[in-house]
Amino acid sequence: MTRMTTRRSLLAASTLAFGLTALPALAQDWPTAPVHLFVGFPAGSSPDTIARLVAEPLAEALGQPVVVENKPGAGGVIGVQQMLAQKGDGHSIGITINGPLTTAPRLIPELGYDPQADIAPVGLIATSPLVLAVSADFAAQDAAAFVADASARPGEISYGSVGQGSGAHLTAELFAGEAGVELYHIPYKSYAEVTTAILGGEIDAGFMAPSGALPHVEAGTMKMLGITSATPFAQVPDVPVLAGQAGLPDDFRAELWNAMIAPAGTDAAVIERLNGELQTILADPEIQQKLLAIGWQVQPGAPADLADRIAADTEMWGAVIDKTEAQQ
Amino acid sequence: MTTLEGLAHGLSVALQPSILIYSLFGALLGTFVGVLPGIGAMAAITLLLPITYYISSEAALVMLAGVYYGAQYGGSVASILLRLPGTPQSAVTTLDGYPLAQQGRAGVALFTAMISSFAGSLLGIAILVLMAGWLASIATQFGAADYAAMMVMGLVAASTIGSRQPAKSLAMVVVGLILGTVGTDVNSGAPRFTFGQTQLLDGINLVALAMGLFGVAEVIANIRKADRHGPPNRVGLRELIPARDDLRRICAPILRGTTLGGFFGALPGTGSTISSFLSYALERRVSRRPQKFGHGAVEGIAGPESANNSAAITAFVPTLTLGIPGDPIMALMLGALVIHGIQPGPMMLEARPDMFWGLVVSFGIGNLFLLILNLPLIGIWVSMLRIPFRWLYPAIIVFICLGVYSVRGASFDIVMVAAVGAIGYALALAAFSPALLLLGFVLGPLIETNLRRALLVSRGDPMIFLERPIACGFVIATLALILLPLARRIRQGRG
Amino acid sequence: MQRDYHDLLWGGILALFGLGVAGYAAQSYDFGDLRRMGPGFFPVILGLILAVLGIVIAIPAWWRQAQPEPIAWREGVAVLAALLFFGFSMTRLGIAPATFVAVLIASSVAARRGLVWRLMLAVVVTALTWAIFLGALDMPIPLFPWSR
Repeated sequence: MTRMTTRRSLLAASTLAFGLTALPALAQDWPTAPVHLFVGFPAGSSPDTIARLVAEPLAEALGQPVVVENKPGAGGVIGVQQMLAQKGDGHSIGITINGPLTTAPRLIPELGYDPQADIAPVGLIATSPLVLAVSADFAAQDAAAFVADASARPGEISYGSVGQGSGAHLTAELFAGEAGVELYHIPYKSYAEVTTAILGGEIDAGFMAPSGALPHVEAGTMKMLGITSATPFAQVPDVPVLAGQAGLPDDFRAELWNAMIAPAGTDAAVIERLNGELQTILADPEIQQKLLAIGWQVQPGAPADLADRIAADTEMWGAVIDKTEAQQ
Repeated sequence: MTTLEGLAHGLSVALQPSILIYSLFGALLGTFVGVLPGIGAMAAITLLLPITYYISSEAALVMLAGVYYGAQYGGSVASILLRLPGTPQSAVTTLDGYPLAQQGRAGVALFTAMISSFAGSLLGIAILVLMAGWLASIATQFGAADYAAMMVMGLVAASTIGSRQPAKSLAMVVVGLILGTVGTDVNSGAPRFTFGQTQLLDGINLVALAMGLFGVAEVIANIRKADRHGPPNRVGLRELIPARDDLRRICAPILRGTTLGGFFGALPGTGSTISSFLSYALERRVSRRPQKFGHGAVEGIAGPESANNSAAITAFVPTLTLGIPGDPIMALMLGALVIHGIQPGPMMLEARPDMFWGLVVSFGIGNLFLLILNLPLIGIWVSMLRIPFRWLYPAIIVFICLGVYSVRGASFDIVMVAAVGAIGYALALAAFSPALLLLGFVLGPLIETNLRRALLVSRGDPMIFLERPIACGFVIATLALILLPLARRIRQGRG
Repeated sequence: MQRDYHDLLWGGILALFGLGVAGYAAQSYDFGDLRRMGPGFFPVILGLILAVLGIVIAIPAWWRQAQPEPIAWREGVAVLAALLFFGFSMTRLGIAPATFVAVLIASSVAARRGLVWRLMLAVVVTALTWAIFLGALDMPIPLFPWSR
C-alpha cells in the first residue's frame, strides 16, 4: 500500500518536473530561474577562476543566481557535454577553453556533439599566448638561434607538452612546421611536470603559459625565447613575439582562449543579452586586472567573432593534427 | 632572514587572532567533512575554495591547510570505525585500524592515529624548515627513469602485505595496474578500455574505486553479521587510552614513518601513497610479531599515519619553493595563492617571507588545534559504534554516493561504485586484499608513463635505468627486496 | 568440507579476465616495441601476467579444502539497488526524494522488520543529507524535482 503511494507520488513529482523544465524560456523575461554555468575543469583551475569572476557580476546583471557547475574531465569536453545535456531548460550555459570546440572532434572518437551544429557561440572572454621556454643553460639566446640550432641537428632538441594533441603539443608542432625544423616530442601530464623536466634538464624546451615560466625566469633558471601572440603580452612585455622572426610568417599566432557558449537553438535574443552583459563585465578594469594576474588578456567581441575564431582555429589545428598523425 | 628570524616572524603572522580563528575553523571543518565517506581532502578543499576568494591570502591558505590536515585525519576516523577509506593512504590505515575497532579497541586505534599524525606533522615541519632547499633540488633532479624505478620498488616492497598467498596479493596488484590503464594514454593520446564513455577518458575515479572496494563491500557483508553480534559493549575510559605497552610500540614506527614520508612527500607525484605503503611494509618486516599485522597491530597504524602526515607537509616543498604542485591538492592550494596575486616559486621566500614562514608556523598551530579538538572527540566517535548498524548503513550508502559525486559532479561515478562494490564484495569473500588493488591502481599509470617517458628521453636505450645514479639505486634496492628473502628461504631449506 | 571454491572460481575469473584484457588490447591498440612502447604494450603484458596468476591461484585450490563463506545475496541486491537508484535519480528527482527512497530500499533487508522505523530513518537521513550537503557544503544539486 505504502509502496504504491510512494511510486505514485514519485510519478507525479517527475511529471511536474518535466512540465516545468520543458517550458521554453521567453527571451524578454529571461532568465526566469537560476542560470547554470558549466565549466569543464575543476575548482581552482584557470577556466574555473574565470567563470567565477564572470559569474558574480553576471548574476547581478541578470537578477538571478548564476551557479558555477564544475564538470571536469576529458580536457573540458565533459563540461560541454553536460551543458548540452541540460538543453531543454534554457538556463544552462557554459564557459570553455578552445579545445572542446576546435580540436576535440579530431581527437575524441565519441564526442557526442558537433561544435558547428550544436553550440551557439556567445562571445570570447580572454586569450592567453604560450611562451617558448628553455632552461637558462640552453645555448640559444633568442628564437632565431633556437631555430638555427634545431635545423643543425634535426630531431635532437626535445620539448615537453601536456599530452598528445594538447595545446602545448600542437603549438610546438605548428611552430616547428612553420620554421621548417624537426623537434622531438615527449608528452607529460601537466605543466608542473614539464617545468620540472626543463629545470632538471630532462628536456630542452616547452611551450607554456607565461605565468608558469615567469617565476623561474625571475629566479634565473629559465629563459623565454618568444611568445605566440600577435603583439607583446602585458604580463611579459619584454618577451618578443615569434611572428615574423626566425623564419616564421608574419601572421604566426597560436593562443589558448576561454569563451562563453550556449546550446544551439538558444533564443537569439538571449545570446545577444548574454553577449551584451559579457561586454560590460569585460570592460571593467578590475576584472581585466584580475584576469591578467592569472595570465589572461580580455578579448571582447560579438558572437560572430567567436564563430570565426572557432572556424579559423579548427582549420589551423586540423592541419597540424594531420601532420602529427602522418608522423606517427 | 635566518631560520630563527623566519620562525619568529612566522609566529607573529600566525598568532594574529583572525588567522588563528581561520586555522581552527579549517581544522574543525576538515575533520567533520573528512569523516564523511568519500569526501577526502581534495573534495573538501574544492567545496570550500569559493569561500577563500573573499578572505585574505594568509587566512585563505591557513584555512585550506587546516582543512587539508583535518580532512586527512577525518578520513582516518572513517577508515578505522567503518572501513570507509577515500584514499590509498587511509586504505592502509584500515588494515589494522578496522580490526582493532572490531575488537572493541577503536579508542586505542583512533588515539594512535591521532598522536602519530600529530608527531608526523611536527617532525615533517622540522624537515620542511631545515631541509626545504635540499628537498627542492632533489625534486628537480628526479627524472622519468628515477620515478619509474622508485615506483616499481614501492610496488614490490608493498605487494606482500595483503594476504598469506603471494599469488593472490600479486593478482590484486596486477588487477589494479590493469584498471589504471583505463583512460587516455598520455603518450599516444589513444583512449584505452573506455568503450565510448567520455567519463572514462580520465580513467576510473579513484574515490569511486575505493568506496566500492571497501565501503560498499563492507556494508553488504556487515548487514547480517552486525545485527547478529549486536553493538559492541560499552567501553570505559580505560579502553580509550592505549596501554603503556602500546605507547612503547608506536614510538619507533613514528620516527621511521616520518623519515620515509618526509623524503617521499617532497617528490611531486604520489609521495604520500608510496610512503604509507612502504612504512607499513617496513614495520611488518622489522616487527617481532609480524603475524599480528592485519589483525590489529598499533604499529601498522602508527607508521603509515605518521608517514602520510609528514609527507603532507613536505609536499608543500615543491609547491612553495618551485611553484610546482606535486598533486591535485597542491595544485588547488597554488590556485588559491595565485587568485590572491601571489606567485609561489623560487622567489617566494625572498618576495613574501611573511607568507612562507606564516604558513610554516600555522601548519604547526593547525595540527595542534587538530590534536586538542580531536582528543575529546575520540569518545564521541567511538560511541558512534554503539548506533545499531541498521540505522547507520542506509545513511552510509547515501553519503558514499554524495561523497563520490562531490569529486567531479558525475552521476556515472555512482554507477561505478555499485559495480565495483559488487566485485569488491565477491573479492572479500575469497580474502583478496583491496588495499593492494588500490596501490596498483595508483602506481600503475605512473610506472607506465614514466617508464615509457624514460625510454623516449633515452631514445630507446634501456641502460638509462642503470646509468642514472638515483634510478640505479632503486633498481638495486628492488632486486635486494626480491632476492634476499629468496636467498634466506634457500638457506633455510638447506639447513 | 568442500574444495576451496572461492579460490577456484576467482582464479578462473582472473585468468579469463587477464586473457580478455590481453586479447582486446592486442587487437585494438598498437603494441609497439621495447624501445618505443605503444598504448597496447602494458595492457597486453599485464593481462598475460594476470592470466598466469589466475591459474596459479586456481590449481592448488582444487585439492585444498575450505568452507565457503555464505553469500549475502539479498543484502547485496538491496545495497546495489539503493546505490543505482540514488545515482540515477539524484540530479533528476533531487536529493530529497532520492535519499528517502534509497534509504527505504537499503533498509528493506535489515534484520529488523517493520515500516515505521524505516520511514523515520528515511526522514532523519534525508534531513541530515539536506543539512550537510546542501546547507553546509552548498553542493549544486537540486533538493526537489522543481528546485533546479
